[in-house]
Amino acid sequence: MKIAYALLGLILLYIYVSIISLLFSGIDRKLVARMQRRIGPPILQPFYDFLKLMSKETIIPSTANFMFKAAPVLMLATVIALLAYTPVGFPPLFATKGDIIVFIYLLTLADFFLILGIISSGNPYGRIGAAREVAMLVSREPAMMLGVFAVMWGISKLNVEKPFSLSSLYEHNIWELGPMAWIAAVVLIYVFLAWLASEIEVGFFNIPEAEEEIAEGTLVEYSGRYLGIIKLAESIKEFIAASLVVAVLFPWQLNMSGIEGYILNLVIHTLKVFVVLLVSKTIFRTVTGRLRITQAINVLWTRVFAASVVGALLLAMGVML
Amino acid sequence: MIRLPLLPTVIKNLFKRPATNPFPKTEPVPTPEGFRGKIVYNVEKCVGCRMCVTVCPAGVFIYLPEIRKVTLWTGRCVFCKQCVDVCPTGALQMSDEFLLASYDKYDGKFIYLTPEEAEEIKKKQEELKKAKKKSQ
Repeated sequence: MKIAYALLGLILLYIYVSIISLLFSGIDRKLVARMQRRIGPPILQPFYDFLKLMSKETIIPSTANFMFKAAPVLMLATVIALLAYTPVGFPPLFATKGDIIVFIYLLTLADFFLILGIISSGNPYGRIGAAREVAMLVSREPAMMLGVFAVMWGISKLNVEKPFSLSSLYEHNIWELGPMAWIAAVVLIYVFLAWLASEIEVGFFNIPEAEEEIAEGTLVEYSGRYLGIIKLAESIKEFIAASLVVAVLFPWQLNMSGIEGYILNLVIHTLKVFVVLLVSKTIFRTVTGRLRITQAINVLWTRVFAASVVGALLLAMGVML
Repeated sequence: MIRLPLLPTVIKNLFKRPATNPFPKTEPVPTPEGFRGKIVYNVEKCVGCRMCVTVCPAGVFIYLPEIRKVTLWTGRCVFCKQCVDVCPTGALQMSDEFLLASYDKYDGKFIYLTPEEAEEIKKKQEELKKAKKKSQ
C-alpha cells in the first residue's frame, strides 16, 4: 500500500517537475533577454519547442547503433527514477539510510547515458563533445560529493533517524552546527553554486555543447523526438541538481502536517530553487563567456575542489570542537 | 579572483525597457531621406533612350525596340540607383518600399510592362500614327 502511494507521488512529482522545470527555462530565457535589452520569447516557449520537437521527423544516422535510440529514453528514465530520491521540500519518497549514494549515482548515470548515446552516433564532433563531457563529469563531482558527505556527516552527529539520507537534511541543518560551521557553509555555498553551474553547463562550463566551437558537440546528431526527450531530461536534471543545493544549504521549511503542508513546502522549495538557478544559471551565463576545456578542469580542481576541501575541514573542526 | 565587469550593466539593463522595435505590431523603423527602395517606372515618361540598359549592372532592363520602351524585372535589382541618376526624363524613381517578400519570384509587383501591356502600347502607337497620317 505504501509503495502504491509512493508511486502515485512519484508520478505526480514527475508531472509537476517537468512543467516547472520547463517553465523555469522559459523564465530564464526571458530574463537573459531583458538583461541584454531584448524582449525575449514568451515564457511558455520551451513547451512549444518541446511539442514541435516531438512532432518533427526523427533522423537516425546510418552509422548509429541501437544505443543511439535507447540512450535518450534511458536518460529520461534515470532522471525520473532520480526524482524519487530528490528532496523537494519534504523528505524524498524512497528515503533510506545512505540514499545519498543512490542520488549521486543516478545523477551521474544520466550524463553517462547521454555520453553513450553520443558516441554511438558515429559523428566525430559528437565524440569530441562526449570526451569533454566525461572530463567535466570527472572533475566536477568530487567537489560536490565531499561537500555533501561533510554536511551529512556533521548532521549525523546530531542524532538523526536515517544518517546519510537526504531526509536527514530536513531534521537538522548545517546552520545549527555552530559559528565554525557557518564559515564552512559560506565556503560550501560557493562550492555548490560553482558545481551547479558546471552540472547544468552554463557560463564558464558551457563546453561540451559549445555551439561555436565544435558544432553543437554532444547534441549534433540528435533530432526530433530524441532531442525533445534529451532537452526535457536535462531541464529536469537542472531542477534536481538545484534541489540538492537548496536541500543541503537552505533547508528551512514550514512545520505543517497533512497534504497541504506537503504542497506548501513544495512551493517554498520551488521558489528557493528558482532563486538558486537565477544566480547560478541566468546571471552567470549572461555575464560570463566560456572557458577552454583545460581551463575549466583546472578551475574545477584548483578552485572548486580545493574550496570544498577547506569547507569540509572547517566543518569537521566545527563539529569536533 | 574572477572579475565580472558586465554584472552592473546587466543588472541595470534588467530594469530598463527593451531597446527593440516589435515590428509586426508596430511600424517598421522609418526609412531615412534618400532611401533606395523598389524602383518605380513611369511608362508614359519613357522615351526609350536605352541609358538604363547600358548602365544597369544587374541586367534588370530589356529594351523593346517596337514600342521604344523598356521592360524591367526588379527581382534582380541591386538598388544601386544608377538608372535613376542616368534617366533623362525622370521615368525611373526610387520609392520607400522595402517589404518586398513574395512567394513567387515572377510576382506582378516585380515586373513593369508585361507583354500584354506592351501589345496595348503598340496598338495605341499605331493608331496614333494612322491618325497623324490622316490629318496630314
